[in-house]
Amino acid sequence: MIFLTVGSQFGFERLVKSIDEIVADGEIEDDIYGQIGLSSYTPSNFKATSTLDKNLFDQYLSKASHVIGHAGMGTIITALDLNKPLLVMPRLHAYREVVNDHQVFIAREFEQMGHILVAYNENELAVKINELKYFSPKPRSSKTKAVTDRIIKFLNIIDA
Amino acid sequence: MVDHKKNIKICLASSAGGHLTQLLKLDECWSGHQIFFITTSNIVSDKLSNIAKVYVTGECNRNHPVLLLKALIRCTKAVWKEKPDVVISTGAATGCIACFLGKCLGAKVIWLDSITNVDHLSMSGRLTRHIANLFLVQWPKLAQKYKNVEYMGAVI
Repeated sequence: MIFLTVGSQFGFERLVKSIDEIVADGEIEDDIYGQIGLSSYTPSNFKATSTLDKNLFDQYLSKASHVIGHAGMGTIITALDLNKPLLVMPRLHAYREVVNDHQVFIAREFEQMGHILVAYNENELAVKINELKYFSPKPRSSKTKAVTDRIIKFLNIIDA
Repeated sequence: MVDHKKNIKICLASSAGGHLTQLLKLDECWSGHQIFFITTSNIVSDKLSNIAKVYVTGECNRNHPVLLLKALIRCTKAVWKEKPDVVISTGAATGCIACFLGKCLGAKVIWLDSITNVDHLSMSGRLTRHIANLFLVQWPKLAQKYKNVEYMGAVI
């Protein structure tokens, strides 16, 4: 099962419509389940819901063999944590999909580090979906402990 | 051995989505302390309410002044009621508001700028930097670019 997610806030019609068309063309064999946000476009070729609470979202992500999504940090972080092959398409400010183009920058950084695949526009999606089948994300080691240690050190000073 | 850890009340303020995911990575920090959440969406409040009390302000950003005002009012009520000793936030606008309100009531402010901000700080981060007691970023180049900013690593 491929899990498609556009994040908890807004619809992402450009991505959902493109995936719908790619499925209609017979280019994706797997079942797709989509979390498509408050979307003005309803897909005809796969099942979708607008919102999922966090627990259900985590469940679908766990069950998925591959993930396609917007380049939101929640999507990227949770896919990386579960070592799921993830293809993202960044939302763009030019299409009023997001407040600024930070998704492009973050997608590029994570792509360069081998953690995700990126389709920078809908024309690249079909090719990238094919690559996704064979993609193994490079694991990422975070420095959460260093960050939490620094905060705990600060909290201990104000405790005293 | 003297136990230095006094129980302090910490406000954890973050927009739902990636900001919140990053904030929750820091959970070791508030172990043993009292906490409450301020967030923007009911979608996440179910999961969070298993952990602590949750105040929901509604989604808001700089482009929607009415929503921002609504969030400000709800945030003010929450912070006034709880009177936290510390506010920890990863942004965005709601987090920034919680930090300023907390500061007005004498709280210490800890900010972790979202990993999405690669080349420059978020707008909420740029504002909060002036009042933060501890300001952390997740890309080393940002610590070089701005004063009073520390890089310890990324949480993802």
